Amino acid sequence: MSFFMQNSLRNILNTRILISENIKRNIFASTPLAVKEIRTVENGKDITISAEIIESERKPFLVENNSGHACPLCASGLDVKHTDVLILSQFIRSDGCMMPKRITGLCNKQQRRISSLVTMAQKSGLMPNIAPPNSKRNPQTRFGWKKFNKYFDETTIKSK
Amino acid sequence: MSTIKRVQQWATFARIWHIYDAAWQNPFESAKLLRKYLMGMHKPIYHPLNDCGDHVIVINSKDIALPGDEWKKRVYFHHTGYPGGASWTLAWELHTKDPTLVLKKAVYNSMKGNLQRRYTMERLHIFPDSNIPENIMKNVSNQLQQLRPKPTRLDSYDEKYVKEFPKIIDYPKDYILR
Repeated sequence: MSFFMQNSLRNILNTRILISENIKRNIFASTPLAVKEIRTVENGKDITISAEIIESERKPFLVENNSGHACPLCASGLDVKHTDVLILSQFIRSDGCMMPKRITGLCNKQQRRISSLVTMAQKSGLMPNIAPPNSKRNPQTRFGWKKFNKYFDETTIKSK
Repeated sequence: MSTIKRVQQWATFARIWHIYDAAWQNPFESAKLLRKYLMGMHKPIYHPLNDCGDHVIVINSKDIALPGDEWKKRVYFHHTGYPGGASWTLAWELHTKDPTLVLKKAVYNSMKGNLQRRYTMERLHIFPDSNIPENIMKNVSNQLQQLRPKPTRLDSYDEKYVKEFPKIIDYPKDYILR
C-alpha cells in the first residue's frame, strides 16, 4: 500500500462517514489480481530463478459476479455438461488436474460436480491438449477399451 | 393431385436411400431409428407383409460411442455347438476385430426374429469410415439426423477463441501459474 493510499484511508476513517454497501468501493487495500510466473534463465554457469508478477490473462474476459453470496458458477446459472470443454478447461491446471477449492472459489456442491465433469471429459478424450507431459495426447492411441469413443450421463453424478 | 402429393407418392412407393453418420452415436439408440427406416415403418402404407422398407447407409461406424464403461462391460456370447465351444467377447474386443459388427448386431437384435429380418438386414449398408463406393453413394437422397450432438474437442478450437472465451473464475492474487 502506498503512502498516499494510507493517508486517504486514514482521512476516510477520521471523518466517520458511514459508507453504505450500495456505494462501490474504489480504494483497495489488497493488491490487484495478478499471477506469478516462475522464470528460469540459464546463462552459462549462472541459473537465475525469478517469480514475476504478471497481469492475469483472464481479467478482460471475466464474467461479472453481481450476487454477493453465490459462488461464480452458481451465480452464472449455467447447467454445465461434460462436453462443455471451454468452461471445464478453466478449472484445471496445465497437466490436466483439477484445481482445489481455495483456488477455484466454488461452493462445495459445484466443486464436486465440476471435478466429476472434468474426469468425464478427460475419459472421453475431449481435452487431450491439457494433459501431463508424458501423455500420448491422441485418445485413439490409448490402451484397449479406452481408445473408443464414450460419453457420460450427468445424472449419474451424486449430489448431496 | 398436387405436385407435392405426387412426389410424396413416388417417395412412398420407391426405395429411398438414406445416409446416417454414426460418429459419436449410441449404436443401440441408433438401431431403433434405423430399424424404422429399414422396415418402412415411417410410411403410411406400412404393413408387416408389405415389402416397403428403404435402404440405409451408415458411415463412420468405427466412431460409435458407448456410455460410461460399457465398452468393457457389454459381452457378446457365441457357441460353436461343440462341448466347451462357448466364448464371450467384450464389446471393445469385437469392435477391434470388426468396427461394423457392434452396430450390425444392435440393428439385428432390435428387430423381431421373423423371416423378414434377414431380408431387411440386406438393406443396411455399414461402412467403418466415410469412404463409400461411388455406385452406392449416387443413390443417396436423404440424410437422417444424428440423435446426439457430436462433441467438439478442445484442441479443435482456435487458440484465440479459447483464450477470449468468457471466463467464470480468475486466479487468486498470489497464484503460481503452472
